[in-house]
Amino acid sequence: MLTRFNRTLSKIVGLAMVCCYPTLGLAAGPSEPAEVVTFRSSVNEVRLVFFAKDDHNHPVAELQKNDFAVIDDERVIRDFRSFNRSSMMKLDIVVLIDSSESVLPQFKKEMGQVLQLISHGPWSEGDSVSVVAFSGMEARVVCEKVCDSALSGDHTKYWTTGGATPLFDAVELATKLIEKHRRPDVWPVLVIFSDGDDTISNSTFKDALHSVRAVAAQVYAIDLGRPGLPTNGTATLQNLAYESGGRWIRISDGASTVFNSVIDDLHSAHVVTYKLPESVSEFHQVQILPTRNLKLQFRCRRGYYSTNGTQKEEGL
Amino acid sequence: MKKVIFAILMWCGLPGMLAAQVGIYQHGTVVRMHMGDCMAAHHGLMVAFGGPSAPSSQESCPEYTLLSNSVAYVIVGRSSNQLIPLAEEIDFRLHNNELAVRVDDAKHEARFTIKEMIVRAEYDRMQQRMEEQMRVSEAQKDPSVIRQQMGGADEQQQMRLR
Repeated sequence: MLTRFNRTLSKIVGLAMVCCYPTLGLAAGPSEPAEVVTFRSSVNEVRLVFFAKDDHNHPVAELQKNDFAVIDDERVIRDFRSFNRSSMMKLDIVVLIDSSESVLPQFKKEMGQVLQLISHGPWSEGDSVSVVAFSGMEARVVCEKVCDSALSGDHTKYWTTGGATPLFDAVELATKLIEKHRRPDVWPVLVIFSDGDDTISNSTFKDALHSVRAVAAQVYAIDLGRPGLPTNGTATLQNLAYESGGRWIRISDGASTVFNSVIDDLHSAHVVTYKLPESVSEFHQVQILPTRNLKLQFRCRRGYYSTNGTQKEEGL
Repeated sequence: MKKVIFAILMWCGLPGMLAAQVGIYQHGTVVRMHMGDCMAAHHGLMVAFGGPSAPSSQESCPEYTLLSNSVAYVIVGRSSNQLIPLAEEIDFRLHNNELAVRVDDAKHEARFTIKEMIVRAEYDRMQQRMEEQMRVSEAQKDPSVIRQQMGGADEQQQMRLR
């Protein structure tokens, strides 16, 4: 009886060995290359940061989920997965400073104050700030994420004033930084101090706008150009700000005041998420409109890219 | 003076109030909205001989798809800023070949030109067909969608061994 049992057992073990052999062989074989496991996931949620103002142009503090609807690629969306204040999110701010000759001599002192603000800024835990300067032929990263020590001393060493203004290249560089730091719970913001007159970039305005849309960053464009003189630079800055749901502001009140107002604005934002609607087009145009009070005004980015039901960018 | 103001207010608010009391409002939901050509809404003599109040061809006007129980209406605003509150349910009525939407906050009705009227069942069928077409074209772009539709992959996350 025992012998018969042993024979049966040995058959089972043998069969198991045969079945497992290919797997064992693959795992143990030294000549086989290491297996690459790729996890693929579909992101089917849109996250939209937006600002609500009343008829007196004041931020609406007590906004409710049913006070607004999102128009996404012509569809009216009222069914939201979540709705929060933006204070729940961490900020990833990249400050771009035009240090070209046309701008910096005039604003050198003010920029110094801005950098002081950044280094001792009103940031919450988890927020990060990077600084990119651009002039001459290139845009360069002054400091990345940790700027306290980099900006606490003499700032003049960062300014290599001269000639041309590679604004679009600087925007591309900034979006690459954002892409590098990207996390789903982080809200990317670009604060651009410039006159907007790009003179040398390899990238075009279209490239810069595409990159801004791809990382879903909000652009605050601080116009250093002369007031009263409408220029192409002003139009460029206005477009970047408008398309991204940010703001275009003249520096007339002083750089540090303007920078503080940007920070206040960021803290008044709301965040809504909803299921990505099916669409034939990759670019979804978005707009927010009121459901009851037609005096409410909403500001958000103008659109985002999606492909095959998978949102390329996580849609902040 | 007060009497005059009261009379004016009554005159302005009367149609809406009467309609509400008589209960002639239908209920509907706006499901789509986009900015379209204003000229589509203003045709005929008004365009040909329209005065300065007629919108220019460059201006865009809001176009809404409004669903009631039995009919789907495509309506167009008269100007770029003529908005409908996008609440879950809005009250509207048909009046002189136009569609009047009740706007609670403004205490008045906003009038829209009717561009199209489709029987609701037909509209639903069209939407279903469009969605199916979209799914097919999506599947053609991404083979993993076909696998999902065929039940080959039940989970959203797929693991692929290369």
